Amino acid sequence: MTTEQTIRSLDDPDLFVETPGTIYDAIPPLPPRTEREAEFYAMRDGEMLINLGPQHPSTHGVLRVVLKIDGERVVDLDPVLGYLHRGVEKICENGDWHHAISNCDPLEYIAAMFSEAMPVMVAEKLLDLEVPRRAEYIRVLAWELNRISSHALFVGWLALDLGGLTPVLYGFIERDEIVEMLAALTGQRLLFNYLRIGGVNGDLNHDFLSRLGDWMGNALKRIEDQQKLLNSNEIFVARTRGLGVVDRDMARRTLLSGPVLRATGIPYDVRRAHPYSVYPELEFTIPTREEGDSYARYLLHLDEIKQSIHIIDQVLHRMPDGPVMAKVPRLMRIPPGRAYVSIESPRGQYSAYGMSDGSDQPFRLRIHDPSFFNLQAVGLLMPGNLVADTMAIMASVDPIMGGIDK
Amino acid sequence: MSIITRPWGRLTLAGKVVVPLVALLVLLTVLLLVGFASGALPLLLGLAGQAVGDNIDVVRFAGAATVLLLFTVPTAFVIILMEMKLIAFVNLRLGPNRQGPWGILSSTLHGFKVLAKEDFTPTGVDVPVFTLAPVVTYLGAVMTIMVIPFAPGLFGLDMNIALLYFFAVAGLGVIGLMMAGWSSFNKYSLLGGLRAAAGIISYEIPLILAVVGVVMLAGTMSLNQIVASQAGSFLDWYAFQQPLGLIIFFIAAAAETGRTPFDLNEADSEIVAGFATEYSGMRFGFFFFAEYVNLFIMSALTTTLFLGGWNAPLDAQPLLDLFNVTVSTALDPGALGMGLLFLVALGPPLLILLFTLPIWMLKSDWSFLKSLVVGFLLFNLLVMMLVGTWAYMTFPFVAGLFWFLAKTFTLVALFVIMRGTLPRVRMDQLMGFAWKWLISAALLNLLVTAAAIVVLRDPSMPWN
Repeated sequence: MTTEQTIRSLDDPDLFVETPGTIYDAIPPLPPRTEREAEFYAMRDGEMLINLGPQHPSTHGVLRVVLKIDGERVVDLDPVLGYLHRGVEKICENGDWHHAISNCDPLEYIAAMFSEAMPVMVAEKLLDLEVPRRAEYIRVLAWELNRISSHALFVGWLALDLGGLTPVLYGFIERDEIVEMLAALTGQRLLFNYLRIGGVNGDLNHDFLSRLGDWMGNALKRIEDQQKLLNSNEIFVARTRGLGVVDRDMARRTLLSGPVLRATGIPYDVRRAHPYSVYPELEFTIPTREEGDSYARYLLHLDEIKQSIHIIDQVLHRMPDGPVMAKVPRLMRIPPGRAYVSIESPRGQYSAYGMSDGSDQPFRLRIHDPSFFNLQAVGLLMPGNLVADTMAIMASVDPIMGGIDK
Repeated sequence: MSIITRPWGRLTLAGKVVVPLVALLVLLTVLLLVGFASGALPLLLGLAGQAVGDNIDVVRFAGAATVLLLFTVPTAFVIILMEMKLIAFVNLRLGPNRQGPWGILSSTLHGFKVLAKEDFTPTGVDVPVFTLAPVVTYLGAVMTIMVIPFAPGLFGLDMNIALLYFFAVAGLGVIGLMMAGWSSFNKYSLLGGLRAAAGIISYEIPLILAVVGVVMLAGTMSLNQIVASQAGSFLDWYAFQQPLGLIIFFIAAAAETGRTPFDLNEADSEIVAGFATEYSGMRFGFFFFAEYVNLFIMSALTTTLFLGGWNAPLDAQPLLDLFNVTVSTALDPGALGMGLLFLVALGPPLLILLFTLPIWMLKSDWSFLKSLVVGFLLFNLLVMMLVGTWAYMTFPFVAGLFWFLAKTFTLVALFVIMRGTLPRVRMDQLMGFAWKWLISAALLNLLVTAAAIVVLRDPSMPWN
């Protein structure tokens, strides 16, 4: 069946494309559903829509952004989310609390140790359970190692999106050593499934400790060596300094957290603001920067890596003896109630609001992912910049699509 | 004789190849016999020879173009392999190491892979322009090699406007990129093509202005004569008289060839693959090869203009005279008499054994056969080195080619290491750098050079 039909081109309303009606037809454009959509898709002279993603070499996952560009300058943008939506929160309600741990793992897949802590900590809070101190120290150790591995990748990705081939591989050297270390501890390289309600899955073993010792020996020196490639590189600084400036007002308005917030000069870190685990006993500073641009965010990540190494040092010196699991039944019925927990993930405040109805399954587990809120800043920062800078801004905010689309 | 009496359809594949070949050979033999017997063939050959002799320039052009087309592909392979290995070392990786020893076959296999891929033309492209774009880019790159003097007497054409020809033909490449960007029916391609046009045309200006200083010093645009005027030690190279010119030329050449940090026209993290987004198969291969051929010719031109071309950095003769060493490279095998027979018969086996035995004795886990193979290879290496040294000292073009390629590939390696080290600049920074800094610096360089020439070469000055 072929029928002649006319399809209006989105780019040029005067251009009509004559096509025979077959199954291969382009889908005719829908009428705009919201005012914002009508405003965005109304094209002025010389403007062009360009589809960034979901399959683009540098969108960090499956984020799709429709850019409206005039020449190379971004006029407006329309982010389209949901390509990685799996319904994690609903899946969590259908399994028991232990299943929720492994279901929450892939939310923040670069640093899974943080997202998997959410159901664990909610359940512990509802049970009013005291976690053994050794288990808490091991958790902090695993968290900080994972934070370093995530930040090392951030530095590499930022450079890769600016066209540098080498820093990403240097970043992966650090990440690979840490990931191998955590694999020795947990058995997995990416999605660890290590934390348990009431402790952790296993005690520190010889393989993990020997790898950790090898790595810690010259970690600080090696990271400082690798920074030399970028820190004073004229092109890198010219590309990132003054780019994507977040001011404090915008940071408060869009609920930013993590390095993006601290790069504006607000020293908000959940580890100090709302202490959890054994962080009050440890000594570390919260690095901040005043500029709020991509370069400040880059430098801040490096400072945080150094602070994390400092924390790991203290944890290894103070590691107490004792059990790594509290005495909890295998099949747990969590008392009814509501609990809110939040921790500091590499990307900001990772928090969860859990409800229990007294059964062994979560009634509701609402996850708050910092990447989603940090991504809002991207939408405010991109217009007015060049196409080339959109990548640098996105990389410097470092969103993880697993948690954004959930 | 059954193969001849069998009908064509029943022949095997080998038969279908062999039967026409035999028939062709029989026909050629008959024609040769008849031609020589009747005297027609010598007459025709003489006429053809005369035609070639009368149009020697055309023949030389055609021959040189063919040789260069054949020469560029292995050059590109070598540079691609070099890039893969060097960037791997910069990245602390191993690089390709599976195809052949140390992965030396990997770039060749990439070439075959590109040939074997589907040559796809997407819906909506402007087919003739889409098809011609890689050809234009590739030929624009290849045809510039014509004027580059590789060694004394080893060049395609010696024109008195060689530099002008070079820049005119090299400028054709950007038309190919624009054609690709425009015809691809893809917005990323369009952005890439326009970036290429804007960037490359902007950088042509400092590139050419930087060369004018050299032209003024040499007084000619013929590349052969520019090289000849740099003869002597390395202090006579124009790099020392035109240091600013060399730096400007090098930076502009990096932008001209679309190399990092100026590879905006195919910035993979921004506009996917730029103008080459919609290309596949060998059409993409042509773009890919053109990039590496461009890299080679820009390095070759830098060598020619600033680094003395095929001139050796130091003349060895004064050094040899100082120590009263006389090297005679005239080989007279007859002087050895019967010794020659012994040398040819016993030399190689003994030398191979000489290389083999220590390896066999020191490597306890190697079989004698394996040591023998390695010894044989080492012996061949020695012979090749000896023959190479002899050729270097006997034929000036071998020495010239050696120094030319050594300098050129050093520059290529520099470009490659730059790619492994630096991030990419932004479009506005790229243009600003060209128009604000490079052109000003090139004009300053020109002014200083002109003033220096006037002052230093003035006959009324006391130093003249």
